[in-house]
Amino acid sequence: MVENRRIFGAACRGLILAVIGAAPLTAAEPVTFEKHIRPILKVHCFLCHGEGEIRKGQLDLRLRRLMVKGGESGAAIAPGHPSQSYLFGRIVAGEMPPGEKRLSAGEIERIRTWISAGAPTARTEPESIGKHFLTEEERSFWSFQPVVRPPVPAVRHAELVKSPIDAFLLKRLEQHGLALSGPADRRTMIRRVTFDLLGLPPTPAEVTAFVNDRQPQAWQRLITRLLASPHYGERWGRHWLDAAGYADSEGYTADDRVRPSAFRYRDFVVRSFNDDRTFDKFLVMQIAGDELVPVPGKVLDPRQIENLTATGFLRMAPDGTGSGGAVAAVARNEVVADTIRIVSTSVLGLTIGCARCHDHRYDPITLDDYYRLRAIFEPALDPKNWQTPRQRKISLYTDADREVERRIEAEAAKVDQRHKAKTEFYITRTLEEELLLVPADLRDALRTAYRAASGKRTAAQQALLKEYPSVAKVSAGALYLYDRRREDRARKLDSGRKQKETRFVAETRQARLAAIEASQRPAVSAALAVNAAKRTPAQKTLLGRFPGVTVTLANLAKFNPAAAAELKADRETAIRLRTEKASDDLKKIQAQAQEIRDRIPTEGFVRALTEIANAKKIPMTRIFFRGDHQQPRAQVGPAELSILAARAPVDLPDNDPALPTTGRRLTYARHLVGGRHPLVARVIVNRIWMHHFGQGLVRSPGDFGQLGERPTHPRLLDWLADEFVGSGWQIKRLHRLILDSAAYGQVSRQTAELDRLDPDNRLLGRMSIRRLESEAVRDAVLAVSGSLNGAMFGKAVSVMEDAVGQIVLGKENLDGERKPKNEIDLEGQQFRRSLYVQVRRTRPLAVLETFDVPVMTPNCTQRSFSNVALQSLMLMNSDFIVEYSGRLAARVQAEVGKDAGAQVRRAWQLAYGSAAGPEVVRELLEFLGRQEQAFARLSKKPDAAGARRQAMSSLCQGLISANRFLYVD
Amino acid sequence: MMDAGRRHFLARGAMSLAPLAAACLYREQLQAAPVKPELARKSFDLLPSQPQQVPRATAMISMFMQGGPSQVDLMDPKPELNRLDGQKFPGTIKYDNAAQASSKVLGCPWKFRKHGECGSEISELLPGLAGIVDDVLIVRSMHTGVNNHGQSIHAMNTGRILRGRPALGSWLTFGLGAQTRELPAFVAMTDPRGLPVEGVLNWSNGWLPSLYQGTVVRSREPRILNLQPPERLRGEVQSNYLDLLSRLNRRHLARRRGDLELEARIANFELAARMQSAAGVALDVSKETKSTHTLYGLDDEATREFGTRCLIARRLVERGVRFVQLFTKNQYWDHHGSIRSQLPASCRKVDRPAAGLVTDLKQRGLLDSTVVHWGGEMGRLPVIQNDAGPRQVGRDHNTYGFSMWLAGGGFRSGGTHGTTDEFGHRAVENKVNHYDYHATLLHLFGIDPEQLVYLRNGRDQSLLDGQPGKVIEGLLAAGTIA
Repeated sequence: MVENRRIFGAACRGLILAVIGAAPLTAAEPVTFEKHIRPILKVHCFLCHGEGEIRKGQLDLRLRRLMVKGGESGAAIAPGHPSQSYLFGRIVAGEMPPGEKRLSAGEIERIRTWISAGAPTARTEPESIGKHFLTEEERSFWSFQPVVRPPVPAVRHAELVKSPIDAFLLKRLEQHGLALSGPADRRTMIRRVTFDLLGLPPTPAEVTAFVNDRQPQAWQRLITRLLASPHYGERWGRHWLDAAGYADSEGYTADDRVRPSAFRYRDFVVRSFNDDRTFDKFLVMQIAGDELVPVPGKVLDPRQIENLTATGFLRMAPDGTGSGGAVAAVARNEVVADTIRIVSTSVLGLTIGCARCHDHRYDPITLDDYYRLRAIFEPALDPKNWQTPRQRKISLYTDADREVERRIEAEAAKVDQRHKAKTEFYITRTLEEELLLVPADLRDALRTAYRAASGKRTAAQQALLKEYPSVAKVSAGALYLYDRRREDRARKLDSGRKQKETRFVAETRQARLAAIEASQRPAVSAALAVNAAKRTPAQKTLLGRFPGVTVTLANLAKFNPAAAAELKADRETAIRLRTEKASDDLKKIQAQAQEIRDRIPTEGFVRALTEIANAKKIPMTRIFFRGDHQQPRAQVGPAELSILAARAPVDLPDNDPALPTTGRRLTYARHLVGGRHPLVARVIVNRIWMHHFGQGLVRSPGDFGQLGERPTHPRLLDWLADEFVGSGWQIKRLHRLILDSAAYGQVSRQTAELDRLDPDNRLLGRMSIRRLESEAVRDAVLAVSGSLNGAMFGKAVSVMEDAVGQIVLGKENLDGERKPKNEIDLEGQQFRRSLYVQVRRTRPLAVLETFDVPVMTPNCTQRSFSNVALQSLMLMNSDFIVEYSGRLAARVQAEVGKDAGAQVRRAWQLAYGSAAGPEVVRELLEFLGRQEQAFARLSKKPDAAGARRQAMSSLCQGLISANRFLYVD
Repeated sequence: MMDAGRRHFLARGAMSLAPLAAACLYREQLQAAPVKPELARKSFDLLPSQPQQVPRATAMISMFMQGGPSQVDLMDPKPELNRLDGQKFPGTIKYDNAAQASSKVLGCPWKFRKHGECGSEISELLPGLAGIVDDVLIVRSMHTGVNNHGQSIHAMNTGRILRGRPALGSWLTFGLGAQTRELPAFVAMTDPRGLPVEGVLNWSNGWLPSLYQGTVVRSREPRILNLQPPERLRGEVQSNYLDLLSRLNRRHLARRRGDLELEARIANFELAARMQSAAGVALDVSKETKSTHTLYGLDDEATREFGTRCLIARRLVERGVRFVQLFTKNQYWDHHGSIRSQLPASCRKVDRPAAGLVTDLKQRGLLDSTVVHWGGEMGRLPVIQNDAGPRQVGRDHNTYGFSMWLAGGGFRSGGTHGTTDEFGHRAVENKVNHYDYHATLLHLFGIDPEQLVYLRNGRDQSLLDGQPGKVIEGLLAAGTIA
C-alpha cells in the first residue's frame, strides 16, 4: 500500500474504519465478544492493552474474563451495566483511545449492547493466551481455509454451459433470475482475445481469416495461434511485472539511479510465459533460484544465469542503499520491508506490512509472524551485512572477455600516464605565466609558496597567496579558466601589435626621410603626398632612389629589422597563446584513452539475490519493537505465518547442511507451491481471471484478508485453483479453460435488468467493456499506424525530460547546466512496445502516465483506470497523437491509393478491426471534404494534395482518439 | 467529507496526470463516477483547500533573476566600496572563478538615491523599482551560503541545495490546490532565449506526485503543450475534429447505452475543450488596454517580451492560478565580466515590467493577496573579477549576503530588512536564510511549515526539511505578525 498522505488530516485509516469493522450485527444474531467486539478492540486498543510488551494500566482487553478482572483502575466492564463499566465510560467520554481517533457511534452502540447483554462470549475462553492466540473466528476466515474442489453445480439452463466455469457463474446468476448473455460476434471476439492475449489489435487480415473460418474449432485454433505468439509473453509478462514491481531504476532517493541490468529479469519473465514455464517452477526460481544452482564461480553457465536472473524478483523493491543521501540503516530496512511487501501482496495476497510495527489490526498476523517471515529472507537481505546494488552485481564476463579487457586496459593506462605528465606541464606553464604578472621581486617567493604543501605554508606564504588569488588558484581543474585568460591576453597582444605596426612603419619612414639630403627632401615629401597611382613618372623615379621612405609592413624587416623582429615575436606569442590550450590538449588525450577503452567488450551483469555463502555469518533476526530497527528485541527463526502454518505446516531450516546456502527460501518456496498452501494458487488464479475479465473473482487481488473483498464466486475460485494445481500449474492451459467458456464469449451489452440488479457486473451476466491499459493504448497506436518495431528483449528504451519537463522517449543530452543539447537519434527504438520503455520510477513516460501506468511503490497488484480531461487533451493535442495520426494516414494512402472511400474504409478497418458501414463511410467522407476545405483556407499557397493529406491525418486522429479505439467490448 | 465514491473517483483521476497536466481540476468528471472497489490509495488533487490559519496571501508571482543580480550596484549601497575603489580588499573573500580572481575592490559605478516615503536607497539602474518603492520590502540580508548557481538555485527554489526536490510552487499547490479548474495550478514561464540553469528542475515536482509539477507556458506556439493543439490544427480544423469525434463516440455509445464510463469520456472532451479555450483567453493580452500595455512596457522593444510575461502572470493569478514563476534566460544576471555594460542592459529589460506588475496588481486590489518576489539565487562580490580594464571588469558570486525584493501578500511594504557588512559581502544583521524566507512565505499562505509534509520513505518530508527556518516578523506587514 502506498504510504503517502496529504496535509491537514489524511483520513486513510479513518476511511477504512468507516467501511470495515467488526461483522455487522443482524437483528437475529446474538452479539458475542469474539465476533463483534474483539475486532473493534483489536483495531483501537490492543496495541496498549494486550499484544505489546507495554501493557498500560495493567489492563489486558484480549479476553472478556481479563476485562472483568481489570487493571490498575479496577474492572474494565461490569457485565449488564454499560454505565458502570469503566471502559465504556472512557470511550464515551472520548478519552479512549487517546489521540484524535474515535470509535464510531455504531461501534460504541455495539459495545453498549454487548455489555447490556451481559458481555456474552461465543464459547468458553481459553485458560491462557500466548502470543499467537487466534480466535475461532480468525481461523475460520475464508482465505485461510484449504482449497477444496467443489462439485460443478447443476443449473437450470444447462444449454448455456460450455465449461464448468459457466456452471458456477450461471448458478449464481440464476439465483437472481439472470442468465449469461449471448455470444458476441467473431469480429468482437478476435479483437477481445487478441488484446487480451497479446496486448495488440488484430490485423485486418487476421480478422478476415477468423471471420471466414468455417472449419470447426476455429476459436480454439485462434487461441492456439495467439498463445504461440511471442507477443503473448510480452503481454502476460507485463502483468506479472506489475505484481513484482518491475522497475529500471532504484527509486527511494531523488537520484532514482538507473538499474542497467534489471531488463534481464523482465526478459526472463517474458520468456517464462512464452515457454509456458509452470507457475510452481516459475515461483521457486524467483524466490530461490540462487539456491537451486551450485555456488556460481567466476564464469556462469546458462542454467546459473537463468536461475540467478529469476531472483531479480526479490531485487525489484526500491533500493536507495547505493544512492547516497539516505540514512543507511533506514534505507536497508526499507528494502527488506518492501521486498516482503512485494512477496506478500503478489504471492500471498496479504498485506502483512502492517505487522512490521504491531500486530495486524485486521488480519491474524502478529508482529512475531512478520519477523519470522523476514527471517526467511534475512540471510540474503541482511541490513547488518549489507550489499549495495553495485556490490550485488554478478558479472556475465567469460575468461576470454577478461583477458581482452586486461590487454586493452594496459594500453589505455599508458595514455593515462601521458595525460598526467601533460597536466603537470600545463600547471607549471600556467603558474609561470601568472607569475609574470606579479611584481618581479615577489615571483620567487610566490612560486615557493604555491609549491609548498598547503598544510605547511607559513603565515607569510598564506598571506602572499591570498593577495594573488590568480596564482594561488592554479590547479588541474581550473586550467580551462586560465585558457580563457590566455585568449584574452592574445587579443590584447594583437591589438597592441596593430598599433605597433602603424607606429613602426611611420617611424621608419620618418627616419629614412630625415636621412635624405635636405635639398631633396621637399620633392620627396611632395611625391609621397600624392596617391601612388597618380604619381608622375619623375616622382616614381625619385622615390625609387629612396626606397626606405616608402617602407610598408611587408618590407619593414629590410629597413628596420629590430622592429620587424618585435612584431614577429608578438605575433608568435599570440598564436601560441591561442593554440596551445591546456584544456583542449588534455581533453584530446583523455579522449584517446576513452577510445581505447571503448574497445573493451561490454560487461553484462545479472541483478540477482544471493546469500553470502558463509555459514558462520547467518544473521540473527530480531523482532523490532514498533518496527524500529534501533529497538531490537527477541530473536526469532524463519517460519510460515502462524495462521497458515496451522493448515499447512512446514519446517523451515535454520541452515540446511545439504546446501551451501541456508535453504530457507528454497524450502519456503517449495512449501508455497506444495499444493496445500491455501493462498498461493487462489491468488494467482484470481490474477489471471482478473486480466481476462477486468476484475478478479476477488476484487482486491493484493488483499485476501479482512480489508480485502470477499470472492464473488468462492466455489469457482476454488475449483479453478484446484484445477490449476492438479494439472501442474500450467498457465496456458488455464487461459484455454477460461477462454473456452461461454462467459468469456458473451456480448458486453448492458440490459436494463442487468444494470438494475448488478450494475458492477459482479455476477458476470455479460462481458465488461474495458479500457485499454496505458501500454496497450500506446502499442495499439504504434501497431495500427504501421510503426511498431517488434524487436524483443534487451536494454530498455531510455526516457528523458524534454525542454518543458514532459517525459518523452530519448537519450538525455544535457549540458553542464542541465539544458538540452542536440537530440540523439533513437534509431527505431522509439517504435518498440511499451514493455521495453524504461521504467524510471520518477519519470513515467508522459503518454503512459496519462493512461495510468502504475508507479511502482513498491509494486502494483491492481491497476486503476482513470477517466479525466487530461487524457482528452493528450488525444486532442499531443505531439504523440498528431505524429502517429499522420503515420496512419500515410499508411492508408500507401496501401489503397488515392480513392478517398477506400482510404476511409481501410483506416477504419485498421483502427477497429471491423468494416465501416455505408452510413459511417458517408459521414467520414463528408468530414474529409469539410476538413480539406478548412486546411486549404488556412494554407497560404494552394496545395490541394497537402490539404487532403492533412484532412486524412485529422480523420485518423479522430479514429484513434475515439472510444471505439480505447475500449474493448 | 466527500462520499467514498466521489473521493475514489477523484483520487483515480488525479493520480494519473501527465506533467502538463497537472494542472487542472476535474470536478465535472464526477458526474459519472463508475463504482469500482479500490484499496486505499493516495488521494491527491488540486481542489482548493483551506490552510490551517487565515492566509494573507493566496497567490504568488516570482520573478526569478537567475545568475545573481549585483546587490551592491542595485539596492544595497556601500559607500565604502567607492572609497576603496581599486585598492586591496581588507577582508577575506570566497572566490568562485580562480583564474580571474582579484583582491581589488570594485566601487559602484552608479548613483544611489533615496526614494519614496520610506526613503529606501535605490540605484539609478532601477527607476521602476524606485517608483514603487513604498510598496516593496527590500531584503538585504539573504543568505544561502553555497557559492554556485545550481545549489543556490535549489536552496532558494526547493529549500535544499540538492537536486531532485519539489519546487516551491509544487509545495504550495500540494498544500493549497488551486482556485481554477481550467488552468494549471503552477505555471512556469521561460525566457524565449533559453532555459534557466538547471533546466526543468526549476519547476519539478521532485518526488511529490506529478500533479504538482509546474506547467510551462512556452514562448512559442503551442504555448502550453497538450493544452493547446499545434497552430495548424486550431480553430475550424479542431472544431471539425471534435465534431467528428463526438459523432463517432455517440454512435459507439448508442449500442452501449448506460455505460457511464463511455459517457464520462465524452463529457471529458467537452471539458478539455473548455480548458483549452480558457488557456487561450488567459494567454491573450491583446484585449488589455493601451495604458496597461504601456504600464508593462509592451510599447518598448527592450521590455516587451518580459512585460508580456508579467502581464500574463497577472492574468493567470487573476483567474485562480496559485503560483507563477518567471525565469530569465541562462545566467542573465551572472555578471562576471563587463558589468558596466551588461548590468544596465539586464535591468533595462525587467525593471519597468516588474514595477508595472506591482502597480497593476495594486490598482486591481490583487496585491494584498498576491506575493510578488524579485530576486536571484545570489548576489555579487565587492571585489573585481577579470581585472582586464574598466570595460571588462565584473563581479564574482556571493551567496553570503545578497538582496531581493518582495511585495504584497502580507509582506511589509516600504523599507528594508537586514544589513550586510560595510562591503556588502556578508549578511551581518537580521540574516535571512533561504529557509527563513520559506517559513515566512508559508506562514503568509496560512501554512505552518512543520505541518506541510509528505510522507516518503517512512519520513515526513517538508520544504524546510528540518532546517531551523523561522517566521521572520521583520518581513511581515502589521497585522500579520506570527
